[in-house]
Amino acid sequence: MLLICGTIPQAGASLVMGEVSFDGSRLAVGNTEIPCTQGTAALASAACVVAKHCGSAAPHAVFAGDTGSGKGSRLLYDYLSNNLPQLSPDILLMHYILPVMGLMKQVCAAADKCGKKPVMMADASSMYAAKAAGLAGQFDIFTPDLSEMEFLADPDAIHPAYISRHLFRADIACADDLIAAAFRQKSMAKTVVIKGATDHVIQEGKVKFTLSEPDLPALEAIGGTGDTISGMIGAFVDAGLTHLDAAMKALKANRKAGQLVQAKPATKVREIIAAIPRALNHN
Amino acid sequence: MMFFKKTKRQARFAGGGLVLFQSVEEAIAAEKTLRAHGYEVKLVAPPPKLRKGCDLAVEINIVEKAGVERLLRQQDAHFLEILPLKGVGELLDIVKVVNFDNACMVKAGNMKLTFDINTGVILNISGGGCPDIPFLHLAMVDKKITEVARPKENGHTLCALMLDRAFVEAAEIFNKEEI
Repeated sequence: MLLICGTIPQAGASLVMGEVSFDGSRLAVGNTEIPCTQGTAALASAACVVAKHCGSAAPHAVFAGDTGSGKGSRLLYDYLSNNLPQLSPDILLMHYILPVMGLMKQVCAAADKCGKKPVMMADASSMYAAKAAGLAGQFDIFTPDLSEMEFLADPDAIHPAYISRHLFRADIACADDLIAAAFRQKSMAKTVVIKGATDHVIQEGKVKFTLSEPDLPALEAIGGTGDTISGMIGAFVDAGLTHLDAAMKALKANRKAGQLVQAKPATKVREIIAAIPRALNHN
Repeated sequence: MMFFKKTKRQARFAGGGLVLFQSVEEAIAAEKTLRAHGYEVKLVAPPPKLRKGCDLAVEINIVEKAGVERLLRQQDAHFLEILPLKGVGELLDIVKVVNFDNACMVKAGNMKLTFDINTGVILNISGGGCPDIPFLHLAMVDKKITEVARPKENGHTLCALMLDRAFVEAAEIFNKEEI
């Protein structure tokens, strides 16, 4: 089972959990419809598309309403800390959440109590919390963009807002230096998928795959196009692919979907998601 | 020397940020205010290298800087500064600008805001990872940059502050284009 955990932009800090369904435009967890926006909803939608493509089981999700106060995030941390051993997912994919280092440590401790430790994936602020708390080594897959890679490479930064200026001045040409620095200080998961003008897949500090075609600069502007990659990777891993193969397929499909919709800065992520089934059939 | 009874959870709490105060009374009052509004905080002695004002500070989750700062100002609580415990003390203030046909993307840290250079309509917001970003995305996208609130007015986190930095730069670029 792929278990997707994250916050959704709804007031009222309640949990929504169950099987995720997506019919091409409507996303639901159990019987609760979720607006398919940038963030965890985009990730879950893309994961559903890949699960259907691969003929594997639909993902499950635990979402918490949180518009930034952190109340929903804390509910979600507490739920996972108390219930992960019973849930024992094959893959735990953590996404938008208020980064709280101590609570992320509790979630990791709960994951260790599962019968078989889940494949641990983190994107967005779950990745920030894992790095800031010194837990990166407990994760199997991180999916940063280049600015988040700069954060992983900064030994002291607790959030990407506090990275050193010289690192933010870096561009994709400096990716090798960032990878080496992050690997040296143990801020990397076992597999790191860097999403950018050139996508990189890194394993044990070494570049295993890069992709820069088709060249679609507008994808960076479109909110949610990194989320879709993370969701697809999770679903491909759940379907039995190796982490490297899952990352390569997701990166290719995301670019292809962008190409199919002729992505522009005004394109919305729901348009990209709608094109993923066709993109997958091209791979 | 002052002693404060702490719960186990408080004692374990490590938020990575400090609010510094001129006086001990201000620190104690601010801690009460923040706690009453649901923030996890604790009173600590600031490390010597960060110490300014009195020898008592409030440790906060630095990610919640925007919300903490707004609340303290709303409550007229006096404080000197909010700082991370490690690393550079100042928020990243560099922006990068990427131009597309009829659109401009402004990047600040991990946040990117893209707007139509002719109409000022916010076309997309990308990047970030804190829970207020999808909320701000819904509130701001497809609206004119001159007609929406600054992200720091409604956001709670460091991602919101980075988005605010990009927003201010984008508004400045749009206003120059309009002249």
